[in-house]
Amino acid sequence: MAGIFGFYAFGDERVNWDSSKFIYYGLSALQGRGQESTSLVIYTHHDNTEPLRWISGEGLVDEVFGKIKQDYMKGFLGIGQVSAEKRDYAIKVEKPIELALVGDGKPALHDNRQKSFQIFAEMLSKKISELRDPLEATKTLIREVGGGYSFITLTKDEKMICGRDIQGIKPLEVGAIGFDIGAVASESSALDVIGAEQSGFVKPGETVMFDPLSIEKRHIKNKTAYCSFEYVYLARLDSYLNSISVSNVRDMIGQRLSEENPVKAEVVIGVPNTAIPFSMSYSKNSGIPVKYGFTRTGRHVRSAIKPSQFDRIVGVQLKLNPIRTSVDGKEIILIDDSVVRGNTLRSTVYNLKRKGAKKVHVRIGSPPLISRCPFGTEVPPEDELIGKALSNDEIAEIIGADSFAYLSIDGLCESIGLPESSLCLGCFTGKYPERPT
Amino acid sequence: MEGNLMKIMGLGNASREHAIAEALERSDHHPRIFWLGDIRNPGIFNICKKSGGDFALSKTTDPEKVVEYAKRWCVDFVIIGPEEPNFHAVPDELERKGIPCVGASRDVAIIEMSKAEMRRLQWEYGMSGKLLFKTFRSSKEAYSVLEKYSDTLTWLQNVALKPARQAGGKGVKVVEDQQLYLHDEKQRFKSKHADWLEGYMKSYSDIEDKILVEEKVWGPEYTLQCFTDGRCIKGMPLVQDNKHAHEFDIGTETGGMGSICGSGFTLPFITKKEYEESLKIVNSLVRAIQDKVGKRYHGMVAGQMMLTEIEGPTIIEMYSRLGDPEALNVLNTLKTDFVDICLAILDGNLSKLNVEFDKRSTVVKAIAPKGYPNNRKLAKNHPVFVDEQAIKRGGCKFYWGSADLNEGGEILSAGSRLVEILAISDEITKASKIIDRCVPYIKLLDGWGLFYRSDIGSPELMCKRMDVADRVRMLYQYRRDKGILGKRIDWLPKVGKMDPVALLRDELSKKSE
Repeated sequence: MAGIFGFYAFGDERVNWDSSKFIYYGLSALQGRGQESTSLVIYTHHDNTEPLRWISGEGLVDEVFGKIKQDYMKGFLGIGQVSAEKRDYAIKVEKPIELALVGDGKPALHDNRQKSFQIFAEMLSKKISELRDPLEATKTLIREVGGGYSFITLTKDEKMICGRDIQGIKPLEVGAIGFDIGAVASESSALDVIGAEQSGFVKPGETVMFDPLSIEKRHIKNKTAYCSFEYVYLARLDSYLNSISVSNVRDMIGQRLSEENPVKAEVVIGVPNTAIPFSMSYSKNSGIPVKYGFTRTGRHVRSAIKPSQFDRIVGVQLKLNPIRTSVDGKEIILIDDSVVRGNTLRSTVYNLKRKGAKKVHVRIGSPPLISRCPFGTEVPPEDELIGKALSNDEIAEIIGADSFAYLSIDGLCESIGLPESSLCLGCFTGKYPERPT
Repeated sequence: MEGNLMKIMGLGNASREHAIAEALERSDHHPRIFWLGDIRNPGIFNICKKSGGDFALSKTTDPEKVVEYAKRWCVDFVIIGPEEPNFHAVPDELERKGIPCVGASRDVAIIEMSKAEMRRLQWEYGMSGKLLFKTFRSSKEAYSVLEKYSDTLTWLQNVALKPARQAGGKGVKVVEDQQLYLHDEKQRFKSKHADWLEGYMKSYSDIEDKILVEEKVWGPEYTLQCFTDGRCIKGMPLVQDNKHAHEFDIGTETGGMGSICGSGFTLPFITKKEYEESLKIVNSLVRAIQDKVGKRYHGMVAGQMMLTEIEGPTIIEMYSRLGDPEALNVLNTLKTDFVDICLAILDGNLSKLNVEFDKRSTVVKAIAPKGYPNNRKLAKNHPVFVDEQAIKRGGCKFYWGSADLNEGGEILSAGSRLVEILAISDEITKASKIIDRCVPYIKLLDGWGLFYRSDIGSPELMCKRMDVADRVRMLYQYRRDKGILGKRIDWLPKVGKMDPVALLRDELSKKSE
């Protein structure tokens, strides 16, 4: 998984903008989508014979950007990427058409996400050179290449082209600043952070090309299948994806959870950060008071997408120190966003009981994860997924909970507000949306 | 005047003027139509010929030349399309020579020509719907003020930087500086743009103020166009223009890439009450300028407005003419004879005329060659082909804009918005779709690209406009209920509370002493 961002300045005075500043903050806003590698490609100036400048490194946005001299990054156009994979950087293609490409998700060209985008970028370069019409070339490529992906590419001749796969599995939002700037980002919150007004989104199968003289769009026949996991877990709470508010979805999920598997208890607690909104609306709907259950140590670490088991446990334990007075002697409903291997939950329930929780009823704001994601989200192999292997009662027993229940598939679709046929629910059902032909 | 003897002369060569010529042609007076243009707009040219009138190429801002043609053709009256002839006192000169003119004379047209003067007038006469502003003669002067409190959030952080004079819709930059972490970036851009404005304004010697800085506001924009004879003002249905060059409301400010007009007098996101308030504001500006300069305003006037949190309905800029493309929306739903309206304006009895409009929705979209608006040289001199029959069959009307019909009968693009297409329907979103289907019938024969905005009038954009309007309406109504509409207050550490309204009033009264 990754977060991508593009910045494009228009008009006579466009060279006066420094895109790297905006991309820095835009990518920082998308940091939750990937914390392992950061890339930036800047279009410096048309007077330069080599106008594109690549900067990539391992680590967080500020770790990578912090090492670079500001003047080196200056330029009025640019794209960037944060990735949850190590050494997963913006792709460079030199021939026949020089271009840079950042992407979220995975085109169905190779098992490996990076290799897949590498092939995609090479095909794009070739197509542009063949057809001599970058917009048509990109459109044709999207039609040919399956998978679930969104991407932004920057060419040597000042074109920024972005697009989404036919089913729009991965999101891509568009915004504007004043009369000067257009921006695209994986999530609308990145647009908010740079002070842009969100003005729409790239539609499934759509190509949008920014060049100094225009913005042009091309559509192809599409069939929507938005990634449902984005709404449950991946996206920020303050984002709108495909015009749907993530926050609204999570409120609805909390409400549905309280209706689907009601249980008597004294306090509702959400696992930070994603499950906090679930717990709040669960509480509101059930009438059971909500409390802060944990305090976090260290910076925000997204435990589910940390690459190694050890890192994950460290992430969890640092993240979650229970607040004793919230739990001591009480029957608790503990809400989490998802269960992958069950380690996090087992550790959390154990810690709660150590601090005096009488009973812990676990509720999960998503259906059981049972299958891989062919579109680049880092779901572990199926034999590691506890939801695939065990029943609810078995899971409750293993993690030491007094009851355990998931959100239903229907509950998830209704919370998002779209029918099952308009969503990708593959990781929950093992059935992946079929590409229209 | 006997109907078939009437002769009317028009000035200008954009789509707006094509629509005006067409409205005159539709009249039951069946006038002969004469026209002056800087280029030969093929649509206007044809209407002139068909009506038994004539067309001549001439500088439209030269009062002597205009009078010369008006006399040669013995026209009954002249109607002016664009703003520059007003600024160059063309109406004044015509009247001095006894030729009636529907068009704002220079002194009253100042409300458009000088954006700074318009604001001063608003403050001097205590109108509502005004914005804080400052004017400067150099970028250095502007920058020293913008920089002064740059580490504090005063109104000077979030500003629109504009040329102080109406300068073809160019040079407006809106810089919202709310994110402290991007402050240096925004501040640098402001100063660079002030430099740019100073350079740009060098070509205008008719005004002292060069740079205008206004407080930045947000909200839905709309244009209220009116007929006035100086005694009464008749408002037309509201139209919303879309100024950004590109889809998603992105990119450089243009003269307008398309406009929407709802059924009835308001837009779907503006209330009847807001319409009435807006009309009152435009009316008070017309009265104020007449009072100030002692001249009658007769012609068209328009408020380019916005609903704002701070003032409710607010003037962004004034027009001393109809908007382009907004003129197309209203002239196509106008039920009253346009010539009758012109005559009533000239005779000063507009109040007695019932000005009526069809209740259907209209959408207009402009199509421009690539290069517009920043690099007009690139947009110029491309041969144009339009399948007018196909457009008609598609349910649209078609207006020539920046297109020049040369002696050989060839039509070449002239650098600005090439054509405008209009559709009428019972819903804005439907009209928008009808237009999209007709766009492919316009081509540049040398293969150079055209662009337009498919999103104007789309359901997505309509939703966005409604959403913004709802938010801003809630805020300004709250302020109104609390009695603090129009109130601003800043805090400067070590200095204390500052009332920018009081400061501005002081400054203005000092200047007028």
